[in-house]
Amino acid sequence: MHESYYICMNLSKSIIILFSLAFIFIVYTGIKLVNPNISSHSQEEKVQRIIGGHTPGYSTSTTNGELIDPISQMIPIEDAVIDPDKYLRDFNYGRVSVSDNGTTIRDFTIVASDQDIKQISPGVFYNVWTFNGTVPGPTIRAVEGDIVRINFINNGSKFHTMHFHGIHKAEMDGVFEGVAPGGKFTYEFIAEPFGVFPYHCHIQPLEEHIVHGLYGVYIVDPKIPRPEADEMVMVMNGYDTDFDTENNFYTVNGIPYYYMHHPIQIKKNDLVRIYLVNMLEFDPINNFHLHANLYNVYKTGTKTTPDEYTDMITMSQGERSILEFKYMYPGKYMFHAHKTEFAEKGWMGLFLVKESVNEKNSTSYTNTADTLSDENDENLNIGTYNKITQKESAAKILKNLTNGGN
Amino acid sequence: MKDIENKQEKKESKNNIEFSKKKIFLYGVIPFIILATLIAFLLSPNSQVFLNAGIALPNLTIEKIEFQQDFIIAHVRNTGQFDTVISQADINDRIHPAGVEPSKHLLRFESAKITIPFSWNVGEPYEIGITTSDGTRFSKIIDAAAPTPNPNYEQFSIFAIIGTYVGIIPILIGLLWYPFIKKLNQNKYNFFLSLTVGLLVFLGIDALLESNEIVVSNVSKIFNGQMLIIIGCIITFLGLIYISNRFTQRTQKSKSLIEDKNTDYNESVSSFSSMSTRQEQKDIIKPITLSLMIAISIGLHNFGEGLAIGSAILIGEVALSTFLIVGFTIHNTTEGLAIVAPLTKSGRITIRKLIMLGVIAGGPTIIGAWIGGFLYHPIASVIFLAIGAGAIFQVAYQVYSWFSSYLGNKNTLTNGYIISGFIVGIMIMYLTGLFI
Repeated sequence: MHESYYICMNLSKSIIILFSLAFIFIVYTGIKLVNPNISSHSQEEKVQRIIGGHTPGYSTSTTNGELIDPISQMIPIEDAVIDPDKYLRDFNYGRVSVSDNGTTIRDFTIVASDQDIKQISPGVFYNVWTFNGTVPGPTIRAVEGDIVRINFINNGSKFHTMHFHGIHKAEMDGVFEGVAPGGKFTYEFIAEPFGVFPYHCHIQPLEEHIVHGLYGVYIVDPKIPRPEADEMVMVMNGYDTDFDTENNFYTVNGIPYYYMHHPIQIKKNDLVRIYLVNMLEFDPINNFHLHANLYNVYKTGTKTTPDEYTDMITMSQGERSILEFKYMYPGKYMFHAHKTEFAEKGWMGLFLVKESVNEKNSTSYTNTADTLSDENDENLNIGTYNKITQKESAAKILKNLTNGGN
Repeated sequence: MKDIENKQEKKESKNNIEFSKKKIFLYGVIPFIILATLIAFLLSPNSQVFLNAGIALPNLTIEKIEFQQDFIIAHVRNTGQFDTVISQADINDRIHPAGVEPSKHLLRFESAKITIPFSWNVGEPYEIGITTSDGTRFSKIIDAAAPTPNPNYEQFSIFAIIGTYVGIIPILIGLLWYPFIKKLNQNKYNFFLSLTVGLLVFLGIDALLESNEIVVSNVSKIFNGQMLIIIGCIITFLGLIYISNRFTQRTQKSKSLIEDKNTDYNESVSSFSSMSTRQEQKDIIKPITLSLMIAISIGLHNFGEGLAIGSAILIGEVALSTFLIVGFTIHNTTEGLAIVAPLTKSGRITIRKLIMLGVIAGGPTIIGAWIGGFLYHPIASVIFLAIGAGAIFQVAYQVYSWFSSYLGNKNTLTNGYIISGFIVGIMIMYLTGLFI
């Protein structure tokens, strides 16, 4: 009897201790949970930042914390999957030599890799598989009848190839001759016919190799050149970052919303020519809508007479076209997928049309990207927008948009 | 004899303690030292060679979504196994700019408040998605958006009124059964007290199920929510049993009057006078104490109920209709009955005390509604509900042991009045619960 009583007392004491411990734990976690703002982060000086503000009619707010806003924030360019400004007007004509019979030979070196993790949207990292380190890969350009020679090196950890659209021999098709990791292959063919083509890796699973970024644009110019124009290349693509066979991001030229904070600057009344390629996976269609204007469409670029005059072109996977247009009035004009879901997940941009005289760097089309990217500020806001208060925001933004900039 | 034995034991144990205090300490500490060394080794780069099997995935839990004028606010917590960074917010799978407080960088278990400017429409469903730096998207669907109540005077009073209607008034109505029950004979009294147990057991199970629902829909797996319910329930149960035992022991020692009352009561109850010796050792609780305990445990339950009501309004799951309030009112009237049931065999009780019991049981509904409506946190609600359940089961157990103290274990479970009372109680709760 007494022994058991003694044990009981001891037990009860230990139970009391257990209880109080449990209670303290519960209270502590409770306080922690109810007040999530009690943070272990050292409080830096509080900076008020403005959330949103770039969509007219939308409310804005301020925060003492951090911003997440791919529409106005940018990626430090050394971290980014591509520099879309550089890519836009970057055409590679190769190392030119002339063969015995007088044909132009263009040599290109393309290196495939599949180990890089890069930012595809501000703060979002993704394992990209690349040709020459970017998504999309470099734009390869030749004239009809030239000999194109691609020295392909596979620097990745998987088999890769390069499969060009166009006319060539079976063994140059990049389908059955997989290039092993560390291996090399030389693709050689005559550039024909003229037009705009995609190239991409053709190792299976095809979808996996393409959606990770192994694609680019191959342009063949007609022997009689097209009229002089402000030429640019645009690749519509997407990223499935969570591997659910649905795209999480849609872009033109690799980074969502990039041309929203870095509008493409063009001159009033200048002919603009876009080599547009759809490399989107998963979604069967994609499209290109231009605001306040219409364009001539040259489907696949294989003719010199336009197929259509429109402001909307819809393309399936792998389809491409050449678009030509001029802007008559200066200002900011949007272009985006009219599949609005894609637009609101990154596939939108702006043209900034300027008066041709006195207004800009006379020689080049370089825009503000370089100066902006030099600052390397992750939280950089676009221009004037971040200073706008909530009250005046809508009016001011509308004014900004109609005036065509800063 | 016994005293001598006891003394000897005590001496022995004292000697033992003095003799081996250091040794015991050492024995207690050695495993910790070895464990610490092992952990240090496992965390060192040496072990990474064979430990790097498998890939840990990030995990983010969206715990709460608020709908404010022109804003949607998501409260998220890093429930993964490592630090993570929030990179993007979306509404209905469309990317939107957002502000993150205090920081995009979340340590384990750390939480953040994400403010997304958005003109939402009342009553429409929304899916809020948060993407982390590796591109994984976590989302939560709200079936119908409703403005989140803000803690202002008006909302406070609205919740207080709802709490009064749902909690206090029905219980006070139930207390009016006091004179009726007082007139009952022993068997009928047993029936009603057992009916009370039925009501309580129903409420306890209800609390467990409700907390499980919260766990399933709002609590990350990493918190092991279901286990939390069980632990909370068991700790409360055992803790209250221990506390009430101590409580009654103390009162028995300090007040010999109680013993007199107990014997009085025994005579009046039945002819089980032979039990009186057993009762001295057993923890017989004064009826008023039992009533108070029932009131407190029902109060805990109603606190949970208030939390549920408040948070349901907050989350926008429930449009609090008049019908719902009527349902709760009918349902909770039975709780008043549970409180007065044990009182009938005690002496007189003042109306003030009766009202006090009603307020103890019903008042927490208001407090719960405030907390649930303004400070809602799923884990906190789960803990409160589990505590409520534990308290209820403890009361049920207490009433049972009270029965068995004068009926005997066997007779309690074979007594027709008790069994039928229990069944009727649980059925009443089920049927009135259908109104909600």
